[in-house]
Amino acid sequence: MMQMTKPDEIVMTETKQAASRAKIEVKNLNFYYGETRALKNISLSLPERSVTAFIGPSGCGKSTLLRVMNRIYELYPKQRAEGEVLLDGENILDRSQDLNLLRAKIGMVFQKPTPFPMTIYENIAFGVRLYEKLSKAEVDMRVEKALRRAALWEEVKDKLDTSGLGLSGGQQQRLCIARTVAVQPEVILFDEPCSALDPISTAKIEELIDELQEEYTIVIVTHNMQQAARVSRQTAFMYLGELIEFSDTQTIFTSPRETRTQDYITGRFG
Amino acid sequence: MATVATTKTYARRRTANSVMMTLCVLAAGIGLIWLFVILFQLLWRGVAGLSLDVFTQMTPPPGEAGGLLNPIAGSLLLTGLAVLIGAPIGILAGTYMAEYGRHTRLTTVVRFINDILLSAPSIIIGLFVYEVMVVGMGHFSGIAGVMALALIVLPVVVRTTEDMLLLVPDALREAGTAVGAPRWVVIRSVAYKAALAGIVTGVLLAIARISGETAPLLFTALSNQFWSLNLNAPVASLPVTIFQFALSPYEEWQQLAWTGALIITFAVLALSIVARVLAARGESR
Repeated sequence: MMQMTKPDEIVMTETKQAASRAKIEVKNLNFYYGETRALKNISLSLPERSVTAFIGPSGCGKSTLLRVMNRIYELYPKQRAEGEVLLDGENILDRSQDLNLLRAKIGMVFQKPTPFPMTIYENIAFGVRLYEKLSKAEVDMRVEKALRRAALWEEVKDKLDTSGLGLSGGQQQRLCIARTVAVQPEVILFDEPCSALDPISTAKIEELIDELQEEYTIVIVTHNMQQAARVSRQTAFMYLGELIEFSDTQTIFTSPRETRTQDYITGRFG
Repeated sequence: MATVATTKTYARRRTANSVMMTLCVLAAGIGLIWLFVILFQLLWRGVAGLSLDVFTQMTPPPGEAGGLLNPIAGSLLLTGLAVLIGAPIGILAGTYMAEYGRHTRLTTVVRFINDILLSAPSIIIGLFVYEVMVVGMGHFSGIAGVMALALIVLPVVVRTTEDMLLLVPDALREAGTAVGAPRWVVIRSVAYKAALAGIVTGVLLAIARISGETAPLLFTALSNQFWSLNLNAPVASLPVTIFQFALSPYEEWQQLAWTGALIITFAVLALSIVARVLAARGESR
């Protein structure tokens, strides 16, 4: 937030935003858990190569919205989405959408670190091998590149063949980021990626997210408003399944249009 | 604490505690004593007959020396084939129930029936296979024995596979799905890996269970005094041989029955230990 108050920075952010096109466009999205309507007519568009944060009190639908974007909700029965979510203009909610390819294009990092029960190397090679036929040397290269990208290489390069479960929580989460990056997605969804981590690990992940936006479109759900202010360019405030306000982060945190947004960010509720 | 009343209450609690503790220890002791008496008896009587002959000679006619080679080989054959048939079907069924059909009515029904099968007396299973196969074929056969044992393996493996897969957190499946892996890859490479120790333990426990089964074999594989691994004919097995020899009036046969019992007991013990070690390793990971 501090860095964004510099006037030249604001101008730069705005021009950049204007220049970048929409990567994901959500149009009139409704989401149902059985009979319960969890998202109500959500429409918003996420600019390419930029970090967008979803904030709001628990149960406001921010995670649900995130989970629509790679259709991971389809793992469970009785959950359904209505409306349109356009990725580069193509509706991913369409029946004909290949879900596995979609998820390879839109990666996701979860709240709790979820390394697979395999070695560190295999954790990353797993996703890489799914869609590409590569030689051993090429896979090695991709694993190293991904681990470097997630700022984990130096810590694990001598123990790639040990279990990923042996790493600390913060390292595990960076391993999950490396695993996601290794598949070369276009969008990365973060679902409260730091809520199970200590402040130092959190700082590392935030730094990483900041770097990743040069290459990827990033969406992050967070409970932590400071985090949203620190890492995102745009922020969406949601409440009870509705999108209350969506604007650049600067505006949301300094001069929100809606009183509900203001009440939430000043801690009056939520 | 300092008042007389509380000290009294405290003293009473302490007494009650030690009385209950003593009762618990006694109960545990009484339970364990019989186990040790049986094991000791088994060792005492069984080891006396243990020699190389047991593993190299066929079962003898009454009054002669011999060994247990044909029932040992028969048991290995029947058990091995039963596991080869029962375990894969059980693992696949358990996988369906925990992964693909978790929320379906079919799973609820299958789980209910499987639980009934799990607790069905093994003699019933023996009779069933007798009716279906032995009567149909017109004679006792090894393959009927294999089928009966496979039917006992099946529910055990179904149950443990489902339980172990349900212990794998959904977050892990979501993570696998989120990198773009199709469902079957997530199951094979992520869920199975996480549940491997438990599933293997289930199979080992099923083996332990059938290696001592006598009733289902009496009606199916029967027994054979001679060397035969022909599945279309009666096949000898350790439990049935023990049953037959232990009831006989001949001393040599009784001795072989003790030794056979010792062999089964320690084979099962070894399997249980392996299962325990595997399970512990799975947990510590």
